[in-house]
Amino acid sequence: MRVGFVWLLTALAIAFSALDAGAADRIELPQGPNRDLVYSRCRTCHDLQSVVDSAGITDDDWQALIENMRQYGLRIPADEQKKIVQYLVTYLGPGGPKAAPPSQASAQTTADGKAVFARQCSACHQAEGTGLAKTFPPLASNPDLFIDRLFPVYVVLNGLEGQLAIKGDHYNGVMPPFDYLSNAELAAVLAYVRSAWGNDKLRPAGFVDVDAAAVGKARQKPMKPKEVHAYRAAHL
Amino acid sequence: MNKKSKQFQLSRRDFGKLTGAAAAGLSLNMIPGFARTAFAVETADQIIPGKSASMIIHNAKLGVMETPLVLLRKYAHTPKEILFCRFHFPHEGDAAWYASLQPPKREDWVLEIDGLVQRPRQVKLTDIEKMPQVKRVSVIQCAGNGRSFYAAEQKVGGGQWKNGGMGNVEWEGVPLRQFLADQKVVPAASVRWLTAEGWDQPATPEGSDFSKSYHIEDGALDNAILALKLNGEPIPAAHGGPLRLIIPGYYGNMNVKMLTKLLYMDEQAPSVFQSLGYRMPLRPVKPGQFKANDYTIENSRPTYAHVIKSVIFSPLPEDKPGSGPVQITGVAFNDGTAPITSVQVSADGGKTWQEAAIKPAESPWAWYHWQVDAKLVSGANTLISRATDALGRSQPLDGLTRWNPRGFEWNGADRVFLTV
Repeated sequence: MRVGFVWLLTALAIAFSALDAGAADRIELPQGPNRDLVYSRCRTCHDLQSVVDSAGITDDDWQALIENMRQYGLRIPADEQKKIVQYLVTYLGPGGPKAAPPSQASAQTTADGKAVFARQCSACHQAEGTGLAKTFPPLASNPDLFIDRLFPVYVVLNGLEGQLAIKGDHYNGVMPPFDYLSNAELAAVLAYVRSAWGNDKLRPAGFVDVDAAAVGKARQKPMKPKEVHAYRAAHL
Repeated sequence: MNKKSKQFQLSRRDFGKLTGAAAAGLSLNMIPGFARTAFAVETADQIIPGKSASMIIHNAKLGVMETPLVLLRKYAHTPKEILFCRFHFPHEGDAAWYASLQPPKREDWVLEIDGLVQRPRQVKLTDIEKMPQVKRVSVIQCAGNGRSFYAAEQKVGGGQWKNGGMGNVEWEGVPLRQFLADQKVVPAASVRWLTAEGWDQPATPEGSDFSKSYHIEDGALDNAILALKLNGEPIPAAHGGPLRLIIPGYYGNMNVKMLTKLLYMDEQAPSVFQSLGYRMPLRPVKPGQFKANDYTIENSRPTYAHVIKSVIFSPLPEDKPGSGPVQITGVAFNDGTAPITSVQVSADGGKTWQEAAIKPAESPWAWYHWQVDAKLVSGANTLISRATDALGRSQPLDGLTRWNPRGFEWNGADRVFLTV
């Protein structure tokens, strides 16, 4: 347990190291395979504090805890659930991580937008971008994609919260930020979504996809999900 | 409780302290394996405007937070600004209105009385407000309060509550039994349960809704009220306004917030929050023997009534007491069915004990204040308190004997470790 404690302190200290000015109070989970699934699936109901709080419980208990979450509404494919449990028992079990973090940061320069979409976005927006009525807005034929070049960038980086009317249907949910994805991954997934399912027909003439550098620039000015909502309203 | 159990009790404030040191020496970009990924840590006032920024956060998304004891001990009635909070679903989108310490403006609120009844009713909040009301000073306590102390046996998942998931609050509202009788709904002969349900909804359509069921003849309901006020003001949304079922002496989860429905039923609600969550095994269990999803209606019971408990309020390590005479103070409470008759206190880790002086409580369900004069010695001191009531119910000296895989109902004799 002592070792686990020291590990936790170290991981959190690293997590708190300077990102940029004013971003001191931040939590991060240890880097490892499938951490992104924890970020994208668990944060509908939990902040990372509550994940960190449970660090140190046994493998069986992580398994039971995630199984229990299905009853509280978690709906993910069985293989994703297995990967999430695998991450949690490996990096947040008793005694600290059982595996070293990957030696390289995942700062890829190229990424497959379709693959990123399937893994990160399809659970809510659905594989064909149709969304779920009254719950998750569609991305297929969604004019929001082109109201402004940067609006979707701000959405994926910061999340979005507030009332939305998309083609006559109303939504009032919360999308979490996906800022744990690299600039290249975000640029790729946005380019994919802006072209897939007939969305290319919505493209204004001469529209050029945002590149990783543009995402990186947008990342420098964090917004609150409500501010992203206001940005949208100002550009409708 | 001991060193082991303290290890994972890092609060957001501890994180803040770490930040400076870490920032001075390391930059995230210098650490291989760490992407530029991080999530802001919010303080309680950012999660629920009006809450004290000193609250200890367990889950920002659900507004789960507890009160540091140094704040809790200052007040006879726990103010809303520091009262612990626990929701089960994110307060976002349509639910954003209840992340607030303001009383909700919901003149349209209606309470439905339905189920196996001859005449279902809908009663307007504005009509309930005109009915005769009574006060109930009562401890409200999260069933998970003290969960972190179970880690000394084996850590259990969930918010790692210390002792601050409780408060002593003055509620005011309409007596439940009389209210129900006045509605003349005429329940069916098969009715055995009353189920309460609130406005809040799960985060996904597949999630279980939150509802609670009580035996229709449960004596605790005789004292229950449809509460409209907390400490003399309309109940803030974050604490269950505009209408909350308050059952004095029952754990927090039983006091359904934002009450919209009372249902007469022949079975308990199928809600997972009734059938699986918030339950205690009927028999003592050990880690590994009985797991978090092993609970059934038959082998466990809901966390209804507060088990007897005492908590030391001073001195705390934060007070940095010196050696010599000291007054040890604290509170004690139970489910209100019998008075607290004794609080035994030890200042030497249990070698010698004294009887504390107990002040009369404001009501059967309020907490009792107690105090005792003792001495601290240079070096390590272990303070222990243990309450007993008129029915002979007392706290286990070793609370770990009640270890359970969901970490509920901690009531071990309270211990404070001081180095003087």
